[in-house]
Amino acid sequence: MEFKKIIKTIFFTEILKGMALTFKSMLSPAVTRQYPEEKHPAMPGFRGLHALVVDPATGKEKCIACGLCAAICPSQCIYIYSTEGPDNKKFAERYEIELTRCIYCAFCVEACPVGAIVLTEHYEYTDYSREALYMTKEKLMANWNKYMAGPKGEEYFKKFWHPTADDYRAYDGQPMFRKREG
Amino acid sequence: MGEIEQEKLTEAAALKTRELTVSMGPQHPATHGVLRLVLDLDGETVVKCTPHVGYLHRGIEKLAENRTYLSALPLTDRLDYISSMSNNIGYVVAVERLLGIEAPERAKFIRTIVGEMTRISSHIIWVATHALDIGAMTVFLYSFREREWILDLLEMLCGARLTVSYPRIGGVRNDVSQEFIDSLYKFVEGFDKRVDEYETLIDQNRIWLKRTKGIGVISAEEAVNWGLSGPMVRGSGIPYDVRKYAPYDAYDKVEFEVPVGKDPGDVYDRYRCRMIELRQSAWIIKQCIEKLPAGPVMAPDAPKFTLPPKDRVLKDMESLIHHFILITKGPTTAPKGEIYSSVEVPKGELGFYIVSDGTGRPYRMRLRAPSFIHASVLPRLCEGGLIADVIANIGTIDIVLGECDR
Repeated sequence: MEFKKIIKTIFFTEILKGMALTFKSMLSPAVTRQYPEEKHPAMPGFRGLHALVVDPATGKEKCIACGLCAAICPSQCIYIYSTEGPDNKKFAERYEIELTRCIYCAFCVEACPVGAIVLTEHYEYTDYSREALYMTKEKLMANWNKYMAGPKGEEYFKKFWHPTADDYRAYDGQPMFRKREG
Repeated sequence: MGEIEQEKLTEAAALKTRELTVSMGPQHPATHGVLRLVLDLDGETVVKCTPHVGYLHRGIEKLAENRTYLSALPLTDRLDYISSMSNNIGYVVAVERLLGIEAPERAKFIRTIVGEMTRISSHIIWVATHALDIGAMTVFLYSFREREWILDLLEMLCGARLTVSYPRIGGVRNDVSQEFIDSLYKFVEGFDKRVDEYETLIDQNRIWLKRTKGIGVISAEEAVNWGLSGPMVRGSGIPYDVRKYAPYDAYDKVEFEVPVGKDPGDVYDRYRCRMIELRQSAWIIKQCIEKLPAGPVMAPDAPKFTLPPKDRVLKDMESLIHHFILITKGPTTAPKGEIYSSVEVPKGELGFYIVSDGTGRPYRMRLRAPSFIHASVLPRLCEGGLIADVIANIGTIDIVLGECDR
């Protein structure tokens, strides 16, 4: 026992073991990502930049200016100024989100009763000015057209607008543990 | 002896020595955020150590009073921001106990899984930064590889990597996907080998042993008297774990061991505890995935406390009313009373004391933050030791100032 300890002390066995591991990883492929060139693809349902849903039938926003998103917002960064339209319907004259204060919890998406706001998968929107990070209604609708328009937007509400009826019941094909073959 | 040398000796004897006061932090890289220590030094020995906290105070307890139970949830993300899921779980478990509702079985299992995932990621960060502080940089590079995997899985699960806000009062936000389960199972199957790698690098390393053995010793009795919890008290040999003593979620349905350190309860023992906990967490996740039952992920029998399903909001009058009331006023039928409920977060025992006055908002929310209590034991660990060991002691208590200052 004592002899083994002396040998270990003289020959730095534990340090050599560590170095062997380092050498082994040197030959294995790198796990780091060269970020600006090599982008991390956001997973579906990522909570990124906001967008206001544009109704493809009318070309206008779906928002009914009920103010639930502003009520639930934990950082209170949504401002809605509602007014009466020509058809005597309430609508949001101004719909503004302060991105510098938003915490991207997606509670606004959950609170919205009509599915009028989403968080897109776009996450690179840093800027030097505050104005660029202050989203107006026009900007938010442009975001929808840019990142979510078409089938992608429809898919979003099917999958990521919670809670759904499926959250309250057991359904067929619920994800379960399955043993891998072989 | 020459005349000049004699003169020098008398001069040295006449020189006065005095204690030096050094302010360490709040911008010191090894203080894990914004901890400030005022150290009185006699040469290299620490005579007195005074922690100054509060640089990261955001008034989370007060902020929660003006929010509904649901919308106070993201605040708890910002407590211990490297294991936000554990804090979320602590909060929703407390609120559920207050409201008297229970999450469905599947939601409980999912919560256990994600809670243990953040425990792994928190302990991984701990071993990485602790080793980096002490001088072993290599572990950092290895452990962040696994952390990235966990963060990717969390992103797949709920769309956010760090501030997740995933659990909900009465369940979880959404069901897990098949892809998530498969990928996580693959992760936990190979995780023991990864822990072996970290251990190869530092476990027997003579510098690591010199820097950790016999440093920051605290006996079992003292650890209890100081109110320590988590790996801090387990490292001293007390097998105290909230997951065992007051099981919440699905911890009473899985098997796991509570690792305890041997005598004397030093930095090395706590390191061993956390390394074993990493393996135990992976084991818990594995069991939970295998036992994951089918069923709802939101409590179906508590319509006054959980948001109604979206397809019913615009079709069913009652659901629409519940939806509007819950969002704007919170659960207004919440019972009056108070509750203390605690969960085991990676740092220790995180307690939520919530007073409800029957409105939809907490009348008072008080947190028992393990990091704050562990910061108070710092002077006891540091005094009498060397200044270099202060770094090892800050590392070993695994302090996160977001939680400490709240």
